[in-house]
Amino acid sequence: MTITSNTGAEVAKAETIAVTVDGVGIEVPKGTLAIRAAELLGIEIPRFCDHPLLDPVAACRACLIEVEGMPKPQPACAQVLSDGMQIRTQQSSPVAREAQEGVMEFLLLNHPLDCPVCDKGGECPLQNQAMQVGRPTSRFEEDKRTFPKPISVSAQILLDRERCVSCARCTRFAEQIAGDPMLELLERGAKQQVGTATDEPFDSYFSGNTVQICPVGALTSAAYRFRSRPFDLVSVPTTCEHCASGCSLRTDSRRGTITRRLAWEDPAVNEDWNCDKGRFAFTYMAQGRITTPMVREDGALRPASWPEAIAIAARGLAQAGSGAGVLAGGRLTMEDAYGYARFARAVLGTDDIDFRARQSSDEEAQFLAARIAGTPATVTYEALERAPIVLLVSLEPEDESPIIFLRLRKASRRRPATVVAISPVRTRGMDKMAATWLPAAPGAEAGVLDEIMSGGSLAETSMAELRDRLQAPGAVILVGERAADVPGLLSAVARLADATGAGLAWVPRRAGERGALDAGALAGLLPGGRPLTDADARDAVARAWGIDAGSLPTAAGRHGTPLLQAASRGEVAALLVGGIEFADFPDPSLARAAVTATAFVVSLEQRHTEVTELADVVLPVAVVAEKAGTFLTWEGRPRPFGQVLREDLAMSDAGVLSMIAAELGQPSPGDVPALRRELGSLGPWSGARATTPGVPAQAITARAGITLASWRLLLDSGAMQEGEPHLAATARPTVARLSEATASHAGLAPAALVTVSGPRGSVTLPWEPAEMVDDVVWLPLRSPGCGVFADLGQVVGGEVAITPGGAA
Amino acid sequence: MAISEATRGELAELAARYPRPRSAVLPMLHLVQSVEGEVTTDGIHACAEILGITPAEVTAVSTFYTMYKRKPVGTHHIGVCINTMCGLLGGDAVYAALQERLGAGHDQPTADGMFWLERIECQAACTHAPVMTVDWEFMDDVTPASAIDVIDRLERGEVVQSTRGPAIRSFAATERSLAFPDDGLADEGSSVDDKMLAGLRVARERGQAAPAIPSGQEG
Repeated sequence: MTITSNTGAEVAKAETIAVTVDGVGIEVPKGTLAIRAAELLGIEIPRFCDHPLLDPVAACRACLIEVEGMPKPQPACAQVLSDGMQIRTQQSSPVAREAQEGVMEFLLLNHPLDCPVCDKGGECPLQNQAMQVGRPTSRFEEDKRTFPKPISVSAQILLDRERCVSCARCTRFAEQIAGDPMLELLERGAKQQVGTATDEPFDSYFSGNTVQICPVGALTSAAYRFRSRPFDLVSVPTTCEHCASGCSLRTDSRRGTITRRLAWEDPAVNEDWNCDKGRFAFTYMAQGRITTPMVREDGALRPASWPEAIAIAARGLAQAGSGAGVLAGGRLTMEDAYGYARFARAVLGTDDIDFRARQSSDEEAQFLAARIAGTPATVTYEALERAPIVLLVSLEPEDESPIIFLRLRKASRRRPATVVAISPVRTRGMDKMAATWLPAAPGAEAGVLDEIMSGGSLAETSMAELRDRLQAPGAVILVGERAADVPGLLSAVARLADATGAGLAWVPRRAGERGALDAGALAGLLPGGRPLTDADARDAVARAWGIDAGSLPTAAGRHGTPLLQAASRGEVAALLVGGIEFADFPDPSLARAAVTATAFVVSLEQRHTEVTELADVVLPVAVVAEKAGTFLTWEGRPRPFGQVLREDLAMSDAGVLSMIAAELGQPSPGDVPALRRELGSLGPWSGARATTPGVPAQAITARAGITLASWRLLLDSGAMQEGEPHLAATARPTVARLSEATASHAGLAPAALVTVSGPRGSVTLPWEPAEMVDDVVWLPLRSPGCGVFADLGQVVGGEVAITPGGAA
Repeated sequence: MAISEATRGELAELAARYPRPRSAVLPMLHLVQSVEGEVTTDGIHACAEILGITPAEVTAVSTFYTMYKRKPVGTHHIGVCINTMCGLLGGDAVYAALQERLGAGHDQPTADGMFWLERIECQAACTHAPVMTVDWEFMDDVTPASAIDVIDRLERGEVVQSTRGPAIRSFAATERSLAFPDDGLADEGSSVDDKMLAGLRVARERGQAAPAIPSGQEG
């Protein structure tokens, strides 16, 4: 018998076996563990070490059950059921109950009775299960084991060893899920304890998950320790705003202040995990907030009332009209991005709009319009897990989309060599995904893809074999936003996907980018992937917006660098600016010049920034916790979320834009339900799409200097990581990476510093030898002490010089 | 102390002996002890680098097994079995005498750093209980007096012959043999003596034999 899965592929129905749990018969798939079969019947067996996503270890022995025919109780978490097996839990077996009570008494021997001051108290599996299956008294009268407390296993994660029950959840998570086996069970017997190597902390982007899965209060975070009691918290399901992975989170707050965030289970996306940025980086929301509208008067900003500020903003923007430009930024919710897209076209009558506050290109805009905008989620996390091959182009998942990294690592544990990565550097992340590294200098990636198409060979990897593998059903190509750095790369990616039939997905870094794209916050694109130049598309949008189609712009506007250049020449009459930072643009001074040279600038911002300093009207907007909204994952999967801080009155970007529109007599939706309704009524575009770009791969000309490779580390100088020093202390150090040959050619001494110079300036930092393409230097794009765009004035793939930088 | 290039080469040689290099972590840690006198942080890093695993993983192994020490052991490791058989037959008294003689407690070095005293678990030498080990070589049927005599002679630099193996060398030499067992000393001393075979002799005299293994359960 077969069933049809939602991907259309036929999968064989799993073979089942019949077992009996507490006298109740049930059919379960072959290979099911006793503890899972009991769960299916609603029978809860106590457990600490068991976790459905970790390999069974049977370390804590709390789940002992009676198995017919076996002389001694067996751990249900590791007992694989076979056909006809009869098991009895504590519900029907005195033997199991006594065994469980005994183990519980044993686990509590050394466990301190400090629940009243323990962070886990109130949500503690040990506390709960001790109440359920424990004995009321202990026979242990000796001194309990104590340790100096706590020890830091990293700058963020603290360990109170006396609370540990040695379940090995944290150590298994570190090894199996994160691939960072730096947390281990040390010593033995009564001295057994979790710990790290003497001089090497638990260095993992996913370390916070260990705190969440610790079934006792042994692991805590420096950020949350002693901050609140779980029963005082108000919990709201949310979506992470830090990247396009789209993790489901639970945000806890107490009296209007966020105290912590947890990964919330979502098997389709983040399973049970999230990254440390998503977990700990929320304090930025309280940093440097703008609390009142401000208007510029006699050259200086002064506080203003909402009606006054709205009126001034409306007047200035209306004057500019179709001469205005919009820089929306990539951090918006889809509803807010839609607000900008709609406001630009319907109210201002301009199509000069872009959400990409980063390196971008015309080719990219065309690629997104042709292949990505408004398309349904076909390449999903599940598809990644099943794919026979995943080709990564300009994407370092561990830094740029951590949940993709976890899913690919999960896939690689079952099927090594699934992942193939084209990159100038072989990274630790690639090793953790058991990836095959295809070296390519920055700028040469498109050539490598064409090489795959033509079946040549490169660095002992058969390109013809790679091409054949990409033709297999379910093959996937993931291309990161950095592909926009390389002329011809996105064209080559599309070409390869078309030639092989591989699924293609674009992975932006920021959480709002995919939603902004689908909402139409990019020149030439209306909501749902509709080409602005298509009359039918304009008609449909005008109908939904209740305006005359003739009032919409008909020619695609400017975006990216051309838009900034025009503004810097004073050719843009007004700028409406969302949350952007100049340092994110490949030419920060051009971005600054664009805002400076524009006569009238309206800034919608959460906090005081370089943009608000230059703006004529500043309108404060809500941070993500103060509003409801939706992020689209890189897959295109909508991730709606509710408002965490419900008493907060801060307005969303779309709400503020709606007020300006109303001031101009053009009512438009400003609240989330109405925005969702209107956007939903438009739906995706089914008409003709833009043509896929056909930019040829650039020929690599030999250059005397060194080529710059770079991407953003997960934890870096990002504005949304401010105010969380423990998290910042777990960031990877700012180091340059070079091949041994390149370093020795440049005369760099081991453990010394290197100076990397570009057109605007230089950075001096430590360097590390790495397995990478020669004559290339890799730098973190925006880390403390190294801002590639701002400090060097060079773009990725550009030429830099390296010289010895003195002693470290 | 930094691990020398020569030692790194030998560590790599050990790693290359196994289909999965990490299987070599035990002999590699013995080699580290032979050159460092203990499992040092440098030694842990060297093993981790060569095996492609993390220092935490090596630390986990090195703290699990009691033969790996995180403090300098000194010239000689002195072990006294205190398990049931040896303990009852005089091991406890031997240990107490040595503790007083050396001024060191369990798993501790002497003040001069020459000896390391440890209560050890069963060495599978109950025939010659109580046993003491010097650098893991057997000193059989010891008494408090004979044990102290061994210490005295070692202190004077005299040759001390193991009752069932080679002449005592040093902790470092034994640790090296544990890493590279092919030290040519396997045939030194008698591995089997009359006392060990007493039970077999009695059984033969009385015609006793182990029951046959039921068919189907061999091996």
